[in-house]
Amino acid sequence: MIVVNGLKKRFKLAKELLNTTSSSDSRQREGFFHSVENVSFSCGRGEVLGLLGPNGAGKTTTLRMLSTALKPDAGSIEISGQNIVKNPLKGRKAIGFLSGTTGLYGRLTARENVEYFAKLHGLKGRALKSRCDELFTRLSMGDFLDKRAEHLSTGMKQKTNIARAVVHRPDVVVLDEPTTGLDIMTKQNIIEFIRDLKADNTPVVFSTHHLDEVALLCDSVCLIDRGTSRFCGSIEAFKEVGQSGELNDAFMNIVNQGSLHV
Amino acid sequence: MFEVFLKEVKELLRDRKTLFFVIALPIVIFPILFALLGFLASKTTFEAEQKVHIYYLANASLSPDFEQMLFYHKSFRPYKGNEKFETIEALKSAVKAGKIDVGIEIPATYDSQVAGKHQQISWHVVFNDAQSINFVYKRLEKLINKFSAQIRSTRLEALGAPQKEHPAILKPITITKVDTADKRENYGEKLGALIPYMLIPLVLMGASYPAIDLGAGEKERGTLETLLLTPVTRTQLVLGKFLTILASSISCALVTVSSMAIWVAIAGGIGVLDTIIDAFSSVTFTDFLLIFALLLPVAVMLSSLVLAISIYARTFKEAQNYMGPLSMLVFVPIVVSVMPNMSLNTTTAWIPITNVSLAIKEIIKGTVDHSAVGLIFVASALLAGALLMFCIRWFSKESVLFR
Repeated sequence: MIVVNGLKKRFKLAKELLNTTSSSDSRQREGFFHSVENVSFSCGRGEVLGLLGPNGAGKTTTLRMLSTALKPDAGSIEISGQNIVKNPLKGRKAIGFLSGTTGLYGRLTARENVEYFAKLHGLKGRALKSRCDELFTRLSMGDFLDKRAEHLSTGMKQKTNIARAVVHRPDVVVLDEPTTGLDIMTKQNIIEFIRDLKADNTPVVFSTHHLDEVALLCDSVCLIDRGTSRFCGSIEAFKEVGQSGELNDAFMNIVNQGSLHV
Repeated sequence: MFEVFLKEVKELLRDRKTLFFVIALPIVIFPILFALLGFLASKTTFEAEQKVHIYYLANASLSPDFEQMLFYHKSFRPYKGNEKFETIEALKSAVKAGKIDVGIEIPATYDSQVAGKHQQISWHVVFNDAQSINFVYKRLEKLINKFSAQIRSTRLEALGAPQKEHPAILKPITITKVDTADKRENYGEKLGALIPYMLIPLVLMGASYPAIDLGAGEKERGTLETLLLTPVTRTQLVLGKFLTILASSISCALVTVSSMAIWVAIAGGIGVLDTIIDAFSSVTFTDFLLIFALLLPVAVMLSSLVLAISIYARTFKEAQNYMGPLSMLVFVPIVVSVMPNMSLNTTTAWIPITNVSLAIKEIIKGTVDHSAVGLIFVASALLAGALLMFCIRWFSKESVLFR
């Protein structure tokens, strides 16, 4: 289970933006851009949580904090009771991260890419081989395992990336817009991957702009707007608060209301 | 850290561009380039030496002896045309028009001047000096000096000085040079300054290409973020990358030096470059080890610096833009080391790169002060350590990693 509570993150403004008084964005103040002001949500075992929000809402910053790439200014992130803000190394062992823009090492083969990350996560010997073989079979990677990543198709790359992200059997999987720019076949791989994780009882935090994917996969949603979580709850509750049976309309209504439903 | 290092080396060895710059360029291209330059230079010199110059001697009838000397010289041939160039202006025009290579004007008053015995005579030599290799003036000067010596001898005899006393009159004191510097020291002074010019930029070149790939390249490909999410500390990541860059940097220098040594040996085998081989024959294996030991902290310094730059850059191109000024920055201290009166002492031993450059020269000369080398090693190692620490700190900064 992952519990996120009161996350805050601000970035120093670039010099050229410091003296801009005309900015209408209330998040620009005191020489800082307050990217995330107050984000809280939780995601239990076997649950898929959709992280929604307009562009620039603070979703990517939130996910970067979840993945320990960025350190929050305040707040806590607990995975199975461990505060990973205080112990990021433990957090990295517990999280599997995948985004639409994640790259692979082009001059390494698909197998070498996955094995490299397995080694960095401390797997070795027989344990490493059996885990990798299990993933290669499950993701049907046999045909391209020994091809260099630079020569793989987008679908093959995405499968390799999935294997890389979960090779260490993470407790939580974080996905940042994983289907952006992908064709239907590759998108389907991702959807199946998320379903497999759900079947394995792994909590999945899934950021996306595609509400059809949310309807298809998610049990609950967290809507972030202007750095703050406006809504957290089940899909049904989301539609109820958003006063619409359609996710798109409910989304627009909650953003326009501007009030908190956490 | 070891896993990071092994993976980076594997990737590096599969990168044709880096392999080209670090291995192929030093092994094949540099010797070919030097050989080509040497061939072209010797060809140009040979052609210049073989060239026969067409001359015109104005007022030739005034000095038939000199006319004869010039006529029978193997490198000169008289102008065969019908035109006359009896003034300096006419000679200039003829040279410019390419009708002659050189014109010599004997003054119309030559007869009276030579007879006057106490007068200095002025001749004019007209030629085009805007050529890098041009033997015409030297040859003519030699010939005129020889002719002038004949006149001097006649005048001295006329003054009552017998032929055998002429050298004592003309040059009462002669100097015999007794040089305490041996051949190694002499050649070392000249060649020793060139070695750092070659080695230190090579160390930088060997570090730059992989550094760009390992820092900015990872950012651009989107692999850095995934790497940062593994349970490997930032220090281990930096050290893994740093060791790869260092290995490449040292390999580049070693491969080049070995390649050059082999090519010099081959050239020596066919009798070329005897002087260089002779000069370096007294440089011992310990000296080479000492040079290598001094290059190590320089390689550490430059590897840390290029890695820090590459991590800061957002893209491959941005990193390449930063590397350009860095190469200039490295050349400045090397140039300082070859400035007049620059020598290795307790002050210069603290100037980064200049100190190593000076020490390498002294090692080649065989005059190195080993305590100064120790000081250089301490100074360079301290700076290298500080830069490496900076690199690790830099790699931990969110504002640098997520610019």
